[in-house]
Amino acid sequence: MMNLAWVVPLFPLGSFILLLLFGRRWKQASAYVGIAATFLSLLLALAVLVDRLGGSTYEANWTWMTIGGVTLTVGISATALNVWMLVVVALVSWLVHVYSQGYMAGDERFSTFYAYLGLFTFAMLGLVLSPNLLQAYIFWELVGLGSFLLIGFYFYKEEAKAAAKKAFIMTRIGDVGFFIGMMLLFWQTHSFDYDDIFRAVGDGTLSPGMTTLAAILIFIGAIGKSGQFPLHTWLPDAMEGPTPVSALIHAATMVAAGVYLVAALFPLYEASHAAMMTVATIGGVTAIFAATIGLVQTDIKRVLAYSTVSQLGYMMLALGAGSYVAAIFHLTTHAFFKALLFLAAGSVIHAVRTQNIEEMGGLWRRLPWTAPLFLIGALSISGVPLFAGFFSKDEILAAAWTNGPRLLFWLAVAAALLTSFYMFRLFFLVFAGKARHHEDAHEAPASMVAPMLVLGVLSIASGYMQTPWFGSFLGEWLTDGAYRHEAAPGWIVVVATIVSFAGIFLAWLMYGAQKMPRDWLSARVPYVDELLRRHYYIDDIYRLTVVSLVSWISRLLAYVDRFLVEGLARLAAGIVGAAASAGSRGQNGQAQTYGAVTVAGLAILVVIFALTGGYWL
Amino acid sequence: MNDVWQSDWSMMAPEWIVLAAAIALLVIDLALPSDRSRRPLAWGAAAAAALAMIATAAMIPAGSASILHDTFRLDAFAKAFKLILLAGGALALLLVAEWAPKEGSPHRGEFAYMMLFALLGAMMMASSGDLLTLFVSLELLSVSSYILAGLRKTAPASNEAALKYVINGGIATAIMLFGMSYLFGLTGTTNLGGIARRLQETNEPYMLALAFLLLLIGVSFKLATVPFHMWAPDVYEGAPVPATAFFAVVSKTAGFVLLLRLLVTIFAAAPAEGRDPSSLLLSMQPVITVLAGLTMIIGSVVALRQRSLKRLLAYSSIAHAGYLLAGFAAMSWAMIDSLWMYLLVYTLMNIGAFAIIAHIVNETGSDDLDGLAGLYRHRPLLAVALGLFLLSLAGIPGTAGFIAKLHIFIGLVVTEPGHYVLAAVMAITTVISYVYYFNLIVQLFFRPTFTAPLGRLPAGLSTAVVLCALGTLAIGWAPGLAYDMLAQFGHFGDFLP
Repeated sequence: MMNLAWVVPLFPLGSFILLLLFGRRWKQASAYVGIAATFLSLLLALAVLVDRLGGSTYEANWTWMTIGGVTLTVGISATALNVWMLVVVALVSWLVHVYSQGYMAGDERFSTFYAYLGLFTFAMLGLVLSPNLLQAYIFWELVGLGSFLLIGFYFYKEEAKAAAKKAFIMTRIGDVGFFIGMMLLFWQTHSFDYDDIFRAVGDGTLSPGMTTLAAILIFIGAIGKSGQFPLHTWLPDAMEGPTPVSALIHAATMVAAGVYLVAALFPLYEASHAAMMTVATIGGVTAIFAATIGLVQTDIKRVLAYSTVSQLGYMMLALGAGSYVAAIFHLTTHAFFKALLFLAAGSVIHAVRTQNIEEMGGLWRRLPWTAPLFLIGALSISGVPLFAGFFSKDEILAAAWTNGPRLLFWLAVAAALLTSFYMFRLFFLVFAGKARHHEDAHEAPASMVAPMLVLGVLSIASGYMQTPWFGSFLGEWLTDGAYRHEAAPGWIVVVATIVSFAGIFLAWLMYGAQKMPRDWLSARVPYVDELLRRHYYIDDIYRLTVVSLVSWISRLLAYVDRFLVEGLARLAAGIVGAAASAGSRGQNGQAQTYGAVTVAGLAILVVIFALTGGYWL
Repeated sequence: MNDVWQSDWSMMAPEWIVLAAAIALLVIDLALPSDRSRRPLAWGAAAAAALAMIATAAMIPAGSASILHDTFRLDAFAKAFKLILLAGGALALLLVAEWAPKEGSPHRGEFAYMMLFALLGAMMMASSGDLLTLFVSLELLSVSSYILAGLRKTAPASNEAALKYVINGGIATAIMLFGMSYLFGLTGTTNLGGIARRLQETNEPYMLALAFLLLLIGVSFKLATVPFHMWAPDVYEGAPVPATAFFAVVSKTAGFVLLLRLLVTIFAAAPAEGRDPSSLLLSMQPVITVLAGLTMIIGSVVALRQRSLKRLLAYSSIAHAGYLLAGFAAMSWAMIDSLWMYLLVYTLMNIGAFAIIAHIVNETGSDDLDGLAGLYRHRPLLAVALGLFLLSLAGIPGTAGFIAKLHIFIGLVVTEPGHYVLAAVMAITTVISYVYYFNLIVQLFFRPTFTAPLGRLPAGLSTAVVLCALGTLAIGWAPGLAYDMLAQFGHFGDFLP
């Protein structure tokens, strides 16, 4: 089946073209086209996976064009990593297609939405099958285009329009780095093929300096796409898009493309210590930075967006610490639990028609499916034992401890604490406490609940592919058996568990206990009296010390984010804008000026020539 | 005199077709009663250009040859660029057929045959082997173009455009002639090959460099590159849309034909002063590099401020000329290949965009970018087509524009020494250009309509849009199609005489 892998992306492409042509006529039935197409993709992707599990890498290339003596090829490459990504993307995409049928029902541009989703899925599936950098770059850009169209889907909102443009242009800034890095590699190796590049790294054709430079430049592309510091600001804004889009593109797949790219080029990065350190540091800093900002957000989707940024930082940290398997493992579990959280958030928004968590509360009973599913997602991301996120996060912490600088390890631990704290702050504010003026809130239709159920199961089950207890199936398969579990000290698991529970506990003290009616709480947690007393005690200290400190740091970082990073971006934009005005002013409509400019230009060239006497530069 | 009559005149078949059609249309236009529509004339002109294209294509297998004392050359270069010029001309003539200014179009017949004359000039330029024929055909192109710019005789903007075009064109001509006079003075011949041969024996590097700079600045008028770019936005804005499309595409292609024919043929092997450049052309690389960089920057930055679609495309065309000039500055082994490729793609995506803008201007009478607002709501296919052209102009993968840019990039980085700075400037200005191209796409897809819905696209425009869209997509996904053609041209191995 692997030789048919190239067909997988074609189904969503077909859906895109069909819906573009006939979508208006089919209206709500458009959903079935999209769902069927992605389902076929998923089936075929699974068949490819089964084939690859027992086989070896399949690669096929066709000549695309010949420029002078250089032949550029296109093809597919069914490495373990690629096939794995193929299945993850096809699965999440299919689930989001199903979910959107309920979520987007009644939207007058329903078919357009499905058409765009098809385009995005096609590009994303194409990206993960690429055997060379150029093809990856092409799909990388198409993925960005799909994201642009979907963020701006609610175009009547000014914010959505602005967010769409911002997302596209910010990620493009990163892409310039990617492009130049790619060109550098091409210049040195005369090939875009991953295999040729790795061979050049191996046999020393590529000098160490050039390897580092190219790796870092390509990493800049990954920074843009994966919302890493300092190019992350587009991702929270991208939440203006419809929620299923946030789940698919801005949580599970596209933003993980940066991680995928670094993983696909892993031998290049491994050859350069400096590049690995850069990846690890950016990842670690992003993980803690975004987590602190997540603490003070009041928009449900923005909390999740900052959380995504932070978790992607984790994956980068894992890559930088040399643990390719940990990064891909976390990418997978994160795809499931974060998609679940977003879809559940979508269900909440669907029910209460607001995104502000301070206007929510008491939804546990009103949303009998969504609430427990959200809880599963929250437990998983918080790293509570036995949930998927626990195993993948543990793997990353172990890698950071054994290979990375100690500081990054502790940053990751602190980020884990903050993660479980803000996730449960969200959980308690939304689902616990008193219900507030949305009595009509009701559970979403089955088409929305079913995908969440699947993701809920996966948010637990996907962790058991790679555990210290039962075996490292994923790791061994991804590395063709060369994988060995990091011999990390056992206390790391203990610390991770403590930290995760500590975050939940703090959140409960602050947001749960304070707002929940006493009897509701004591019925479930018998030792509530004692805890309540301690709550006031700890709460005071907590407010005085940790909260004020953390919230101060958090605000500071939010300001840094808003004024420094955004300010720098605005400064650059301002310079370009000022140059544009100056240029327009020079264009004064006088033919004399134009002639004078020409003659002056000629004179300048001649004078320079005369002065340098032919010795330019 | 005898050998003139014994020359193989069939080599000029495409030129004869265009000339005959132009004269026939001129006579028909005179004879036709003034109340009859001139639309069939424009269709006839487009058909003539298409026929000339077929004639040119039929001559591809023949080897290179020259007639009339080597003043008319038919080498792979001439054939390849004539194909682009004719394709651009034919498509622009389709726009002429559907031209509908609000004051009526009594001069449509004139429009059609003047455009054919201009096209003839451009074609002759591609085949010129002599300074004289080169100059005369350049003037044929230019003078016809001045008239095209002023064809809306009652519209002040059109008159202003024509006048500005004439004045600036005059300055350009003067500068270029001055440069040519140096060449003649140094070598005593007007034949391009002859000049190149004699120059190898002379040792006047300063004089030659001066001649080079004069010619470069003169040519930059047709290219609309720094420092001779400022006329373009005014002229593009004032001229009728089909004429603007013609200037942006055919004139610019002709400019690059001139650049290659004149500067490469003459200076590629000329001796130079300096450290160790092997030729004057190579020693001038820094100048061309700087001009290319400035052109890209000015074209893409100033475009940010424009609200008129025609002006915006004018700046975009300046930026594209900068990319092309960057390809020239690289002087890689595939330089002519990459310029041909870029110009082909540039022709398709620009005419496609101009065809849709022509429709909007016809229907609304204005070319403000608000006219695009919400196009996707009432004319989805039109919006998708324009979106495709804009993506291609921006150079997004999956479209022809990406392939063309990639080719230039590869040329910049694989030559020794690589031109990283220029490649970086190109990458950065490309990102800046995304801002305004995506601004237009936002208008198309993300804005509610507030103008009356546009009518259906008339036949001529839809033909142009469909052809351009197919070409843009085909080259974007299967660039092999265009590269097979380049292989047929033997990668221009017979370019230098």
